[in-house]
Amino acid sequence: VGGVCRVGWGTGPPLLQVPEDFISRELFDTVQVYVITKPELQNKLITVTAMEKKLIGCPVCIEHKKYSRNALLFNLGFVCDARAKACALEPIVKKLAGYLTTLELESGFISNKESKQKLVPIMTILLEELNAKGKCTLPIDESNTIHLKVIEQRPDPPIVQEYDVPVFTQNKDDFFNSQWDLTTQQILPYIDGFRHVQKISAEADVELNLVRIAVQNLLYYGVVTLVSILQYSNVYCTTPKVQDVVDDKCLQEECLSYVTKPGHKRASLRDVFQLYCGLSPGTTVRDLISRYTLQLQRVDERRLIQFGLMKGLIRRLQKYPVKVAQDERSLPARLYTGCHSYDEICCKTGMSYKELDERLENDPNIIVCWK
Amino acid sequence: MAVLLMGKSGSGKTSMRSIIFANYIARDTRRLGATIDVEHSHVRFLGNLVLNLWDCGGQDTFMENYFTSQRDNIFRNVEVLIYVFDVESRELEKDMHYYQSCLEAILQNSPDAKIFCLVHKMDLVQEDQRDLIFKEREEDLRRLSRPLECACFRTSIWDETLYKAWSSIVYQLIPNVQQLEMNLRNFAQIIEADEVLLFERATFLVISHYQCKEQRDIHRFEKISNIIKQFKLSCSKLAASFQSMEVRNSNFAAFIDIFTSNTYVMVVMSDPSIPSAATLINIRNARKHFEKLERVDGPKHSLLMR
Repeated sequence: VGGVCRVGWGTGPPLLQVPEDFISRELFDTVQVYVITKPELQNKLITVTAMEKKLIGCPVCIEHKKYSRNALLFNLGFVCDARAKACALEPIVKKLAGYLTTLELESGFISNKESKQKLVPIMTILLEELNAKGKCTLPIDESNTIHLKVIEQRPDPPIVQEYDVPVFTQNKDDFFNSQWDLTTQQILPYIDGFRHVQKISAEADVELNLVRIAVQNLLYYGVVTLVSILQYSNVYCTTPKVQDVVDDKCLQEECLSYVTKPGHKRASLRDVFQLYCGLSPGTTVRDLISRYTLQLQRVDERRLIQFGLMKGLIRRLQKYPVKVAQDERSLPARLYTGCHSYDEICCKTGMSYKELDERLENDPNIIVCWK
Repeated sequence: MAVLLMGKSGSGKTSMRSIIFANYIARDTRRLGATIDVEHSHVRFLGNLVLNLWDCGGQDTFMENYFTSQRDNIFRNVEVLIYVFDVESRELEKDMHYYQSCLEAILQNSPDAKIFCLVHKMDLVQEDQRDLIFKEREEDLRRLSRPLECACFRTSIWDETLYKAWSSIVYQLIPNVQQLEMNLRNFAQIIEADEVLLFERATFLVISHYQCKEQRDIHRFEKISNIIKQFKLSCSKLAASFQSMEVRNSNFAAFIDIFTSNTYVMVVMSDPSIPSAATLINIRNARKHFEKLERVDGPKHSLLMR
C-alpha cells in the first residue's frame, strides 16, 4: 500500500499527499473527476485504476451556508499498486470518510486552518501503521480516536446442506463459547463430527435454516469444516493427497494422534496408511472393517474416516439415482435427476438409507450412479 | 457549436447563467455551489436556436486540465468565448495568465470565435470609480487579446448591466437578425412608433430594436429587460403569468405585449392622439407576419447541437 492523499477546496493546496509526490501531476489530472466528483458520485466508494496505480476513495460533500461556495468537498483515499488486491481497504476508506465527516460536523476539523495542519501527520501515521501492522489506533484530539484494521477477505463459504456434518478443525475446547451468538452457542454442543445438520437442528431444538446459517458462519471463519454422514454402508476412495500422510511429518503426527483409539498405544503409520488405501470404489466401511481387523486394533475407524475427509485424503462416493423412463407409480421424479444424492433424499423424505435402497434397487426405471 | 463560459473560480459564471437562462433572481444565486468540472446546458433560445452552453468550473485543478488533457475537447467548435473577470480579484497576473491560455487555445482550435470579456461584480466598486476602473481594464484586455478582438462589458447581477452584455452576446448568435430588424423598422414606421423593441421570451434579452428619434438614456434597453424580467418572475411566484402591460402619461404611451411564440414586443408612442386600441390592433396584425418570419427561417438557421 502506497501513499494516502486528501483533496479539498478553498484555500490551501488542493492535494495533500503522503508520501509527497507519490501521485504524479499527470495521474492526478487524469483521475481527478473521480476524486472530487459531481453530486451523483458523492458518498460512494470509488476505485480508479490508471497508470499502474490504484486509487480507492470516497468523495464527501458537506453542504452548509458557512462554507464559501456553500459546500465542503473532500476525499481521503489510498493509493496502491494497480495489481494489488484492494478490497480489504474499502471498509477502511468508508470508515475514514465517516470519521472525517463527523469530525468536520462537530468541530470543523477539516475546514479549520489550525486543525487542518494535523492532517498530514495523521495521514503519515495511518500509512505507516497500516502498512506495518495492518491496524492503526490514532488519537485525534481529547475526545476522538480512530481505530482501523485491515480485515482479510475470505472466500464465501459453500452453502450448508441439511445432510452435511460439521466437524471442528481445532480442539473444541479452545473456543470461548460466550463470544459467539446465541444460536451458535446453542448448537455447539451438538457438533461432534457425526451429527448432520438436520440432526443437530432436531436435537438442539433450533430451526433448520438457523442451524445452516450458523454452521456456514463457522465455516467462513475456518472453525469447522464439512464432512458427510458416516454410515457403515458408505463407500470412500482415496485422493492423491493421501500421499501427504507419508511425506508430511506434521500431518502424520496430527493424523496418528487423531485416529488412535483412546487408551491405546499410538497407532502405526503403516496400519493407518494401509487402511486408507483399503478404501476404494465398491468397498464399504463395513467391508474395510472385516478385512483389516488387525490394523484396526488401535485405530478408531470413525475418526479415521473423519480425519481423512477433513484433510481431503479421502472422498465419499455418493449414490445418485436417475430416472430413465416415465412411470406414474414411482415416487416424485424431481429428486431422481442424478443431482441429488441418497444422503439428500433420505434427509428430505425421512426414509432410511435401507428403505430407499430397497425401493430403488427394485425399480427398473431407475439407474443409480456413483460419483 | 459551443458557447464557453470561463473564468476564475467564484467569478460569477454560474450565477450569471442562472439569472439569464434559469429564472434565478440575483438573491437566489447565493445558494449556488462550486461548479465541478463542466456543467453542460442546452438552452433553447428563440424557439429553434439551441445554445450549447459550457459553464466551466474555475478551480485551478480544472483550469489546468482544460489547457492540457482536455484542450481539444473544450476549445474545438467554439462560437463564443465569454471570459468573466472578478473586478475585485487580487490575483490579476494569474487571471491574465489563464485568459491568455484560453486565447491561445482558441486561436489554435476555433480562431473565428467571438470573444467577450465581462468585468464582473462592478457593484462592489465605488460608484464614482466604476467608469475609470472599467476603462483601464478594457484597455488592458484589448491589448492582451491581440491579434484577437474582444468586446468588453462591465457587469453586475444587481443591475441592468448584466442584460446589456448578454443581449450583445446573444445578438451575435441570431442568424437572421438583419431581416428581423428590417421588418421591425417597417412595422415601426407604419404604426408611427417612436421606438420598437423585440425581446426573447424567456430571457427578456433585447434581440432587435428600431428607434426613429434619439433618446436620452442609452441604457434604457437593458433597464427595461431587467425591470420586466423581475416583474415577470414576481408574477410567476404568485402563480400568475405576465402577459402585457400599458404605461402612459401625457407625453407617451408604452405597450409591452406577447408578440410571437418566442418574443415580446415593446412599442413606444409619443403621439398622444393615437388611441391605445389602434396600437394594439396594429400589434396584433403584425404578429402574424412576424410568426411567419420565425417559422420560415427556423430550421435552416438553427444552431447545430454539438
